[in-house]
Amino acid sequence: MNLEFNEDQIDALREFMNVSIGAATASMANLLDAFGTMHIPKIEICNSDELADKIEASIDSNSMYFVIKQLFTGKFGGECMFVISQESALNLGNYLYNAKNSSYDDISDAVLELTNILTSTIISRLTQELDTQVQFFVPSLQFLDSTSVVSDDDVAEYSKIIIISTVLDFEDKQIKGNIYVLTKDKAIESLKILIDKKIEEIYG
Amino acid sequence: MEINCPDVLLDSLENGHMVVDENFIVSYWNRWLSINTQIHKDEIIGKSLEEFYPEINYRVLQRKIKTALSIGTPTFYDANSSKKFIPINRNKVTTSSLKLMQQQVTISPYIVSQNRVMVSIYDISELFEAKLLIKKEMRTINKLNEKLEADREIIDKNIMVIKTSSTGIIKDVSTFFCDYFEMEKEHLVGENISIFKVADISNIIYRELVQTVQNKKSWNGELKYKTLSGQEKWFQTRVLPIFNAHGELHEFSAVCHDITNEKLLAQLYITDSLTKLYNRAHFDETINLLVKHKRKTDIDFVLAIVDIDHFKSINDTYGHQVGDEALIAIAKTLKNSIREDDLLARWGGEEFVIMLKNVTLEEAKNIIEKVRVNIEQSVINNNIKVTASFGLTRYIFGEDAKEIFKRVDDALYKAKNSGRNRVVVK
Repeated sequence: MNLEFNEDQIDALREFMNVSIGAATASMANLLDAFGTMHIPKIEICNSDELADKIEASIDSNSMYFVIKQLFTGKFGGECMFVISQESALNLGNYLYNAKNSSYDDISDAVLELTNILTSTIISRLTQELDTQVQFFVPSLQFLDSTSVVSDDDVAEYSKIIIISTVLDFEDKQIKGNIYVLTKDKAIESLKILIDKKIEEIYG
Repeated sequence: MEINCPDVLLDSLENGHMVVDENFIVSYWNRWLSINTQIHKDEIIGKSLEEFYPEINYRVLQRKIKTALSIGTPTFYDANSSKKFIPINRNKVTTSSLKLMQQQVTISPYIVSQNRVMVSIYDISELFEAKLLIKKEMRTINKLNEKLEADREIIDKNIMVIKTSSTGIIKDVSTFFCDYFEMEKEHLVGENISIFKVADISNIIYRELVQTVQNKKSWNGELKYKTLSGQEKWFQTRVLPIFNAHGELHEFSAVCHDITNEKLLAQLYITDSLTKLYNRAHFDETINLLVKHKRKTDIDFVLAIVDIDHFKSINDTYGHQVGDEALIAIAKTLKNSIREDDLLARWGGEEFVIMLKNVTLEEAKNIIEKVRVNIEQSVINNNIKVTASFGLTRYIFGEDAKEIFKRVDDALYKAKNSGRNRVVVK
């Protein structure tokens, strides 16, 4: 099973992700009245045992984090993960619930809502670009320290993982979060086929 | 055959399903909801949900509806939230942890052109209860772990513990063990346990230890060791085999307790302070035990009593200090002249006793004759010559200690009266 991407495939995936992230930014503006920016996505293929370190390296080790994981299935399946610090989550909760000191339940629900918009838009738009459909599963929410976001034991059974990551930034509201789209082994193969098909359609 | 009756289909589901628009007007309310909320569909359809459930945060609900309609994918409420979307009583009697049904609420786009969404409510109470139970158990486990960790710390700092693999490779040692033995943990881990074997401890003990643990049994005994700074230490040691879940030998764990002081005290109790030989009390105790138990191998012995000739004149001529030096020198000569297994003690004053084990009377006589010659030939303090008289007798089965001592005393008396510096057998 060749899980490496060639340059064309990477370029195409980056382009689809740019479109998806643009759509997510628009959704947020439309649905939450929040005008944020999202960084150009970073695409990495790594071994599964490197995932925990890579995620740990991209977040601040001193914070506690709300971590929302949502699975999606279809021809292209995987897991979307949104990681937001406790401080940013409180600011988000206060903003969405129009409160000064939101309750834990309100913060959790606000984080879930933002994740919903982000992941749904990004994945829906990406899969739309790839002419396929996905089904979303109920997201799970955890409150963890930076070293526990991904457990090495949990991912050990996979060989390769694609990490598509970006940073969401609402500077004016002091909300910042990291989004990761993770997919593995067979799903990577399917993704490559879908990308190739799309490249073929576009460039003939 | 295609089913064209969605109402019936949704009524048959064991979940709550309602259809609302972005103004929360209910256009569908399934049977599950009617039963669980006690609100019949005829009462609620066409009306706003707000009339029935004013406590719902409608700003948030509206946003979720808008998201679902706009993106075309489901949106969710936090399933762990303590807030319930709509309160539904839970009638479970056997547990009281959840009074209201824990709900997983999903808002899915239904008829987008009419801004209608399907709100689905799933009962996840059982799952949530299990989560709560796990959380509760985890809290208990964490508390136990903390206690265990504290206990482990106490053990580590205060008890000598060493763990080895089943093949004797050191896997772990307690801090106290390292401090005590003046060794670094990193130097010990990976070494074979045999590095602690000292040359002057009986091989029998080691053989017994190894055989016992190889038979997967625990071993309890005393071991001796010399620390890096040369101190001799004694340990009461318990070696336990540890088995894995399949009953296979996994590792050994040894707990050691320093008994050096106890050993020294015990030694002091049975030692003559001047000559460092055993004292009379120890000899008495030993011989009494032997004759009491009457074990064939133990009672095969010859008893010798030694008396230094004219010892009083050494004291009178050279003083008591030289007299003491003479006793020390004679004790040394005696010790060097007999076998390691024989028992030698100071009997009192200038008298010594020797128990020669597993010898014939003839052999004993030869040994003692050599002892006599060795004393005769020794020079004390560069110029003092001494001789000694010896009484010798063999233990007769069934007699008590008094009887053999009487006989050996008689032999000694005879040796004294017949010119001294001789061995008399009786």
